[in-house]
Amino acid sequence: MLDRPLAPPPVEVIVAVTQALHREARLLDNEDLDGWLAMLGKDVSYRLELKSRRFRADRSPPFPLGPGVIFNEDLGRLKMRVDRLKSGFVWAEDPPNYIRRAVSNVEVLATRADNEVRVHSVLGMHRNRIDGTTRLLTAGRTDLWRSEGSAWLLAAREIVLDHSVLPDSNLNAFF
Amino acid sequence: MRFERIGREPDYSRYMDLKEGWLDRRIFSDADIYEEELYRIFARSWLFVAHESQIPNSGDFLTTHMGEDAVIVARQPDGSIRVMLNSCPHRGNKVCFADAGNTRRFVCNYHGWAFDTAGDLKGMHEEYCYDAGDIDFKNHGLKNVAKVGNYKGLVFATFNSDAPSLEAWLGDFRWYLDMILDNEEGGTEFIGGCIKSVISANWKFGVENFIGDAYHAGWTHDSGTRSMNNGQPVPPIDMDNSYHASVNGHGWEFGTEGVGDLFLLGRPKVMDYYNKIRPKMAERLGEMRSKIFGSVASASIFPNVSFLPGISTFRQWQPKGPMQFELKTWVIVNKNMPDDIKEEVTKGVMQTFGPGGTFEMDDGENWENCTTVNRGVVTRHERLHYRCGIGRQIEHDTLPGIVYRGQYNDANQRGFYQRWLDMMTHDEFGKMPARPEPQLGNVGETRDLPGLFAL
Repeated sequence: MLDRPLAPPPVEVIVAVTQALHREARLLDNEDLDGWLAMLGKDVSYRLELKSRRFRADRSPPFPLGPGVIFNEDLGRLKMRVDRLKSGFVWAEDPPNYIRRAVSNVEVLATRADNEVRVHSVLGMHRNRIDGTTRLLTAGRTDLWRSEGSAWLLAAREIVLDHSVLPDSNLNAFF
Repeated sequence: MRFERIGREPDYSRYMDLKEGWLDRRIFSDADIYEEELYRIFARSWLFVAHESQIPNSGDFLTTHMGEDAVIVARQPDGSIRVMLNSCPHRGNKVCFADAGNTRRFVCNYHGWAFDTAGDLKGMHEEYCYDAGDIDFKNHGLKNVAKVGNYKGLVFATFNSDAPSLEAWLGDFRWYLDMILDNEEGGTEFIGGCIKSVISANWKFGVENFIGDAYHAGWTHDSGTRSMNNGQPVPPIDMDNSYHASVNGHGWEFGTEGVGDLFLLGRPKVMDYYNKIRPKMAERLGEMRSKIFGSVASASIFPNVSFLPGISTFRQWQPKGPMQFELKTWVIVNKNMPDDIKEEVTKGVMQTFGPGGTFEMDDGENWENCTTVNRGVVTRHERLHYRCGIGRQIEHDTLPGIVYRGQYNDANQRGFYQRWLDMMTHDEFGKMPARPEPQLGNVGETRDLPGLFAL
């Protein structure tokens, strides 16, 4: 039973979850941060782990406490970040930066739980800063989305950033 | 040893008057000045290259830079640490592109020249193509640096065979360094990995921010502080009981309230931990240092390392041209902390001073825009104001170094640029003035010293 492949989710679920990803990107681009928070599950986990460039054959043991994480957030911490952005004291965001997210390569996979799906996607993020500098960041995301009532909520997100050196001075945006 | 550029003898003293308290903006963007910094500062200073905990076992290595020179830092079978140029003596390619790992050999991708972890040339692809007398293996290893030193876990290296000992280079600043490196039995270690980011700013802006600029915190980081502190801004600083201390361009600005930086870390368990060990810290380092540790504070080691004692972010500003640096950050903890406290520290550092941290996010753009705007052809000839607190120098019977009262001050920044000027001006280390004259010169170990009056 453990190894039996799961049937793919119904088309309606694939469409609904894909639409949720696009809606999420639009809300973030439009700085509708409360709208975005409303798309998150109460137990949401939001993580971006650190990578380091190693030889393929490297046999050194993993770090005892893990490689470190840039984001390791729960709902409370994400709310705090949103509060900060809304505080009116974020000088680096005033006038606003232009951020546009493109979501692609969406794959919706069934899980053992009826109301949950695993979702792989790719995010491209264009940032045009107040001083005119433009950066392009790309990341892979592996999510868990959960159906609650009529809505799909983000329950977990693992972000893999495709840069060993961040090409920007901060990560002042949600992925 | 001198690595000299030919044909440049400019008078750097015209770029600043630190008694008056001003700097010329050109030092933040001029390509010739930057090039000269690489020769006179980065090729001659002791530079931080690793924490010994990053390479605990034989064959462990990491790659980094000394100035813009790529180097490998490798643990040897005998336990010593070697630092060598990450560049093949054949055509110059990098011999190691990994950030870190464990290996027995570094092999160049171009022609397969292979070196052991000491940098000795051991062989190459199709070795038969070299006739007798073509190559002397002994003289064609990876060039090792002139000296490697270790101060309580921090590994430094220098290309300068004439450099004073690492202890002398750090000098009286060891009294301050011991607050982060030796506040508990067992010393420190780095945990997790290294975060690297590119910031389009002059490297000195990062260093001077950490060496003395407590002043920016309440304004730049207003949003971050309020979000961590129930909407409350940074409280006014106690100007009577907070200080700047400068030693040969190293500097530490600090309060004596004991909790400010620990509070900003935002992890109450870490605060509890330090409060628990504080009485022992007082026995170990003396009353004053146990009161300083954990306070609102920041520090830099000349030329390009900074950290926040209490918040535990440790960082290096690696120059990449006059208007760009790579910021490398790590998390430093006491080795003897329980794992759950170490994890709390890591979380706290990432949430505050990681690239996605509530404080870090505000700094980069200020430095970037200071750099680009200062470059304007008219703008660059205007002076910058570095005079804050210029009349507040004091003699303190406990604190070594050049001490100024009041944490909001430009004193340590002036001390940093004074050392910068000294190094840009003087050819010989021996002729460079000590600032101030060493007070703990003959003290091998500052740990058991409560203060100067105990000497």
